[in-house]
Amino acid sequence: MRPRKVLRIARWEVSRSAGGLDRRSLAYALVALLLVAGVAPFAVDGGLYDGLYVVGVDEESGYHDAVERSETLRAVEPSEEAFSSGRLDVLVTDGVRAADTGKGRAAVSELRDAVRAYNADLLDGYDTAYPVSVDLRYVDRGTAVSADDASESVSGGSSGGDGTEGGTDGGTDVEASGEEDGFSFPSGGLDGVLGQGGRAGTPGGITPPFPFSSLVLAFAFLVPLNFVIQAYSTSIMNERIDRRGVLTLASPVSRYEIVAGKTVPYFAIALGTVAVVAVAVSGGVASVVAVAPVAFVFLALTFVGSMFARSYKELTFVTVFVSVSVTSYVFVPAVFTDVDPIAAISPLSIVVRDLQGATAPVSWYLFSGAPLVFSSAVLFSLGAGVYREEDMFTQRPVRLKALDALVSWLHRRASVAKVSVLLIPFVFVAQLLVVAVVFALPVGISVPLLLVVAAVVEETAKSMAVYAGFVSSVFERTTPNAVVLGALSGVGFFVGEKAAHLAQVVGLDRLEVGRAALGIASDASPLVLAVLLVAPLVLHTVTTCIASVGASYGKREFGVGLSAAVAVHVAYNLAVVSLVA
Amino acid sequence: MVLALAIQLFIAAFSSFLVVGLVSLYDPGSGSVEFAVAGDTDEIVDIVEDEDAWTATRHATRAEAVDFFERGDADAVLFVERPGGGGDVEVTVIAPRSDLRTTLVVSSARDLLERYEDTERERRAASLGVETVEVPEGEASPYHGFTYAVLVPLLMFLPVFISGSIAADSVTEEFERGTLDLLRVSPLSDAAVFDGKTATAVVIAPAQAALWLALLSLNGVVVASPVGLIALVAGVTAVAVGFGASVALSFQERKQAQFVYSVGVMAFFVMTFALPEPSANTVAKLAVGSATWATYGHVAVYVVLGAVGYAVARKVAGRKLS
Repeated sequence: MRPRKVLRIARWEVSRSAGGLDRRSLAYALVALLLVAGVAPFAVDGGLYDGLYVVGVDEESGYHDAVERSETLRAVEPSEEAFSSGRLDVLVTDGVRAADTGKGRAAVSELRDAVRAYNADLLDGYDTAYPVSVDLRYVDRGTAVSADDASESVSGGSSGGDGTEGGTDGGTDVEASGEEDGFSFPSGGLDGVLGQGGRAGTPGGITPPFPFSSLVLAFAFLVPLNFVIQAYSTSIMNERIDRRGVLTLASPVSRYEIVAGKTVPYFAIALGTVAVVAVAVSGGVASVVAVAPVAFVFLALTFVGSMFARSYKELTFVTVFVSVSVTSYVFVPAVFTDVDPIAAISPLSIVVRDLQGATAPVSWYLFSGAPLVFSSAVLFSLGAGVYREEDMFTQRPVRLKALDALVSWLHRRASVAKVSVLLIPFVFVAQLLVVAVVFALPVGISVPLLLVVAAVVEETAKSMAVYAGFVSSVFERTTPNAVVLGALSGVGFFVGEKAAHLAQVVGLDRLEVGRAALGIASDASPLVLAVLLVAPLVLHTVTTCIASVGASYGKREFGVGLSAAVAVHVAYNLAVVSLVA
Repeated sequence: MVLALAIQLFIAAFSSFLVVGLVSLYDPGSGSVEFAVAGDTDEIVDIVEDEDAWTATRHATRAEAVDFFERGDADAVLFVERPGGGGDVEVTVIAPRSDLRTTLVVSSARDLLERYEDTERERRAASLGVETVEVPEGEASPYHGFTYAVLVPLLMFLPVFISGSIAADSVTEEFERGTLDLLRVSPLSDAAVFDGKTATAVVIAPAQAALWLALLSLNGVVVASPVGLIALVAGVTAVAVGFGASVALSFQERKQAQFVYSVGVMAFFVMTFALPEPSANTVAKLAVGSATWATYGHVAVYVVLGAVGYAVARKVAGRKLS
């Protein structure tokens, strides 16, 4: 990779794109923004929750004022008939009655908040509107894990004497929670979206750990990035239309230099966007550093998508798909920022901490960033593998293209081991996504489900390269060859997997589902540990051999072999789980 | 196209499952909570006893309560102090950090303390002679409102946004690949070509909205007025698709068309917030069943806007086809 060549291509890309977004489109965008700015003053009082629930209340009633002052509630004339027919959610006559539906309950709960706010206002003149002050702390209890870099002080404000209380017995760690200290969102976006929120330090100010802030942040960072990947994907796709890319391909630069050159400007723009958003939500450098890998993986996925898409329409779906998956990958774990170590896999957790005025441990950056950066690098390499005439300009089936991409990594038989290692982050990410999805299910369902999915993902990852090698005739289709390749791939995967188990550093193993996905057992005797170390090696080697012997015969046989391998793997997983448990 | 639909269905299922699953996970009132209380606890214990789902154990000291909690015998600790004698109350809540029940525990504690605050307020009001309103009873999932006011609008408008984008794609692709001439020499009228390019995009968003509503009802989120919602989505989709196709015909290049389209559609949604009812609020009211005549009026406006907008786009932008 020669930097000068890369920069030259980057410069072309910039100059073409600068011409690409011409004055006319910028003018239209400006008009749109002016229109928005023009209506903005009228738009401020339009709330999402306005008039969601209907309350029948007489104007004479004390409740009427409370209802009138709530945007979410709409006051109408009380009527028994309207109430019983379901047109009123709450009826206030002598007492308060609510319809026996989810809506009725939500409405009365809303009325309750309205009445509380009303009462507090009545007392406000006497300086006793908020008689109860609350200090909420989160505590780790009964866990043997002591390397707690995942649970250092959140707020940094009020540690002091309280922080050490009970800290000596049983590895407990009492600490103040980030009760929204110094955590400010511009323009009250959060309360607007949430439709709730009380004064900090009062009972109403307690926010149960479902930080919608993470959701809002995920959108704040990722929505602008969508514009960047939109332009990036078009640029890549355009190289493939009408053989336009053939000129750069024919020039004396490597395809890696072309890809790097075309990507650098967009990555720079993405970083700039992230920085602007970080400033807008009053975050700092930490936020930018944390989100940068997300921008990188966004581009990497888009690149691969643009190399594989067959039309613009497909490309649009690919970009939507990319942005939904990245958003959920980033958002779901961040939900547990203040509560659970699993949050560390999301870069947003670092951002949330940054906004709370606390610093996240370096291990968090590594744990959230490293898999993303590594995966992105692998994706770029995979996409660059098909950045060549045969694949770019032809309507080759996606399946074959994917195999082509894998084949570009295969040079000798040992390459399959390398591919297995390279695919580890995807296995890791896929499994974590599954963990995130099944997190909500009861353990009785989620753990077996995970074991099966984990087996499918791992077996596919291990044997794909072998199959690709056979299909493209890189390897000779003989059974001994298949066994050697299977063994190599299995060993490679084993080595990579053990490296990925560094996940333990951040305490992911404390989470039951995480343990099932990653096969971590921390509290076992040395003998068991030795068995646990050798057994997966044997397992991975054997199952991959099964699948690759199948692959050496053909497509259908590969399917059969893969299924058999998955079955063996699931059986093994179940055995291990029941033994360890 | 099949692949595209499959991907979209996957996204739909995934995000719907994810969000609805998460929201329902955080449904409080779905389990019992045990508090270990210490300090000035009489009133707190009274409130706890009023609620079936809660139990409380009294402890002489804070340390004792924490120990009890440490052993896993209680879900949370409440330590109540009155530093100034009869004055303001200070409560320390200790909740488990790493626990699936944390949300339930914390929201129960919040509920409990809010009731406690009510009694404290009443007492003050009585001594001051202020007439407060009695706080009604009943607790509900705080995410009921979120589901209808944020989630449903999001799910309704996302397909609309994508639809217009597809329409723009299908037009720019003809230009970029140079295949438009083939269409031009065909015996089809401009309007017919325009319709052909946009038909799928117009149909797909309402269909998807319907699918999403079905998925939601499977997840237990019942929508009051699906017909109204789909009519609204259809209207807005017609606007978005007409706009997307016109922009594409005018710019003839994907990068610019997509840029102008995205900015324009976002501006459109922001501008609906200047209406008496913002578009998202109209969706929320239709979904939750609190629609007024004004709400249906807004739906009618979107439908008319869609029909007129699409017709104009077809007539004006369609000319660029020949």
